[in-house]
Amino acid sequence: MRRWTALGALAIAVLATAIVVGPAGLAPGDVLRGLVGRGDPTTIAIVRDLRVPRAVLAFLVGGSLAVTGAVLQALVRNPLADPYLLGLSGGAGLGAVLAIALGLGGAWAVPAAAAVGALAAIALVYRLAVVAGAVLDTRVLLLGGVVVGAFAAALMGAVLALSPAEDLRSALLWLLGGFDTASWRTLGIFAAYAAAPLVLLYRASRPLDLLSLGEEPARFLGADVEPLKRLLYVAASLLTAAAVAVAGIIGFVGLVIPHAIRLLWGHTHRTLLPAAFVLGGALLCAADAVARTAFAPLTLPVGVVTAVLGVPVFAILVRRWSA
Amino acid sequence: MERVIFEARGASYRYPGAAAAAVTGAGFRVARGELVGIVGPNGSGKTTLLRLLLGALAPTAGQVLAFGKPAASWRRRELARRVAVVVQREEPVFPLRVREAVTLGRYPHVGPFRPLGPHDRDIVAEALARADATALADRWIATLSGGEWQRVRIARALAQQPEALVLDEATANLDLRHEMEAFELVAALVRDRGLTGVLVSHHFNLVARFADRVIVLARGAVVAAGPPAEALTAAVVERVFEWPVDVLAWRGTRQFIPMRRADATVPHSAGRERSEP
Amino acid sequence: MRFAGRNAARAATAAILAAAAAGCAPAGRVAERPAHRVVSLAPSITELLFAIGAGDRVVGRTTWCDYPPEALSIASVGDGLHPNVEAIVARRPDLVLFYTSSSNAAALERLRALGVATDTIRMDRLADVVTGARRFGRLTGTARRADSLAAAFAAALDSARAVPVPGPRVRVVLLAWDAPPVVIGGGGFQHELVTLAGVDNVFGDLARASGQVSIETIAARDPDLVVLLGETAPEPAWAARPEWQVVRAVRERRFVRLTGSEFARPTFRALAAVRDLRAAIGEARR
Repeated sequence: MRRWTALGALAIAVLATAIVVGPAGLAPGDVLRGLVGRGDPTTIAIVRDLRVPRAVLAFLVGGSLAVTGAVLQALVRNPLADPYLLGLSGGAGLGAVLAIALGLGGAWAVPAAAAVGALAAIALVYRLAVVAGAVLDTRVLLLGGVVVGAFAAALMGAVLALSPAEDLRSALLWLLGGFDTASWRTLGIFAAYAAAPLVLLYRASRPLDLLSLGEEPARFLGADVEPLKRLLYVAASLLTAAAVAVAGIIGFVGLVIPHAIRLLWGHTHRTLLPAAFVLGGALLCAADAVARTAFAPLTLPVGVVTAVLGVPVFAILVRRWSA
Repeated sequence: MERVIFEARGASYRYPGAAAAAVTGAGFRVARGELVGIVGPNGSGKTTLLRLLLGALAPTAGQVLAFGKPAASWRRRELARRVAVVVQREEPVFPLRVREAVTLGRYPHVGPFRPLGPHDRDIVAEALARADATALADRWIATLSGGEWQRVRIARALAQQPEALVLDEATANLDLRHEMEAFELVAALVRDRGLTGVLVSHHFNLVARFADRVIVLARGAVVAAGPPAEALTAAVVERVFEWPVDVLAWRGTRQFIPMRRADATVPHSAGRERSEP
Repeated sequence: MRFAGRNAARAATAAILAAAAAGCAPAGRVAERPAHRVVSLAPSITELLFAIGAGDRVVGRTTWCDYPPEALSIASVGDGLHPNVEAIVARRPDLVLFYTSSSNAAALERLRALGVATDTIRMDRLADVVTGARRFGRLTGTARRADSLAAAFAAALDSARAVPVPGPRVRVVLLAWDAPPVVIGGGGFQHELVTLAGVDNVFGDLARASGQVSIETIAARDPDLVVLLGETAPEPAWAARPEWQVVRAVRERRFVRLTGSEFARPTFRALAAVRDLRAAIGEARR
């Protein structure tokens, strides 16, 4: 119980800090006044319409990525799995890059194209991995994901090579991840897309425990293995596709957070998934705050910050684990 | 309460893309309260037969029934409440404590949502005790030896409170004491609790001493079925396992001693039993 | 003796010219004679070559070189930042002009190894147009025309800087991209243009040419206008997005679009560009 309180307190602290700090250099007092709608209108707008939705969105995306990572690690029975393993990042990146290169209009062109690209990659990998009727072979899933991802990345490289320099740079910056498009509307859309997969995955907690024993033991312990694998794959993929469409490709959260929770807590998924959600959300929210503020007025891509934070954390965890 | 737990009628199964069937025309019954041994060499179709009995595979010909219904038609959780299976090899990828691993055996009864209660915890404790794994309860499963891990899995199977217990080569990694204890445990459960036991093994000597009935498989077909005294003869063993054996009568059962090449010069007592001097 | 004297005079002239050329063009291997077959690997270089009267000597350009219109009839050798060495060599150049960048360093080495004369030049700021014109003049034997053009341009720049601009200062943000937001800083050429136009770049404190910032920073610095680079629609699509409404200039739809190539790179057309910019800003203020 103490651990949950500590985790909750951490989450609230991180959210609060992410709202108070920022490149605009606002004093904490002004931020608080801005929250309740008093003071300079620009400050109010910055706090209410930019910082709050951005902090919350970063939290939700981080939490979703961590949950997806944990689920995929159980599904493919590989501790090194992460949300982008299934070819999603390649597909999303290709979609986004094509949208930029073709100059597709519309405020939502790039995120929509990224989502479409991710879904196409999901469908392709699924098709590759379905053998003999409806059985989903998870080894082929892994391999198919790597292959589709590599293919998409190659196409992306070709498109970028033929693009003018500004498009190249913009595409690369988008791919490195960021929450600049955060608003209440983006937050609402993401929350609407993420809610169902998150709930479904949580409800599959116990079957997930069984699945990590292996497919055959899981089946004999009462799990409906084939429908379960399909559900896990589709829910995890949709969740990741939504995250990529909104925020680009942000690594390490999905890979490292589940392991951190397993080491600190346990790995029955009933506690692992919610704890990973909160810790992953806190990490990404903090990383975004750092990305916005560390080199103000310049912004770092969030993916860079999560990697810089993630690598030492991972190293410490691995040392503890093998100790 | 069904009298027949498992039944196969002319059941065959061919894996997709395989040249030959893994099991052909299998016909036999496992009655409630019996301890049945399934013996045969590697590749004889023992594991495939088990998968058919448990509904994990649907027969490509013939029928397989579990508790009177086609095995493949059972809902997995319902079947898991009645049959517990200890498979040959299990390698979990993530760390678990023994107690948690055994508690997973309660899933068929509690399902995905119901919280675990003191009743469940008692059953887990009892299962650990019966499998002689209580001392291991707080260990990480990655730190267990092969034999210890198998005992933990037997405990998990017991936590399912099954009517039938199926062990697929589950004693392969156990040392003498633990293998004997596993066989004794299953025999005791069958005798005292009325469980039905199905033991797949290639240790025909142990099976001959423990099983009420034996089913002998060779190349996917049932070549003999019945009490050990009838079904497990030297002729059968030699034909199926493709190795000459000498026979020893021991305390009412037949024990088979594989011959050495050097012994080949001495005419062996094929078909004739030798008594202990 | 007459022949010997003439030869000696020729040799001396050659030596002086070589010394002068070497002194004026420090980087890269430079031909002793004026180049007659020049491949240009940047649009700004192509434009400058034509402006100083060396356009007839250009035998190769990049796909992005579109000004002046005469340049379009010259064969393209591909991209300038990732040059196609084979295509360049096929034009049989006696001089290849590179834009300073790390991405074409490998091609530069390869051409040098093949014995082709190369030169690298920075073309990022207006001052580079002056030095570039002088250098290219020497390299292509059009020094007289090039030097006079360069001098005139330099003088015009100075007098433009010297004239103070009337009225209250307009503050702008130079936005190169929206997601993520990329602005032009003090090191950028467009910064020079707006400064000459008498307008303040709110991100002029950034030393670099461009940088990624957050919308929050733009909102906090509260520019009066948003200057859009390379945007063709009268109002950009992203202007309707909710997060951009925090920036007053976006909320009030105060945009200035800079679409010509004269706004994208430093050229002799810069002063005309400044005039157009001043007019556009004046319009947008009303």
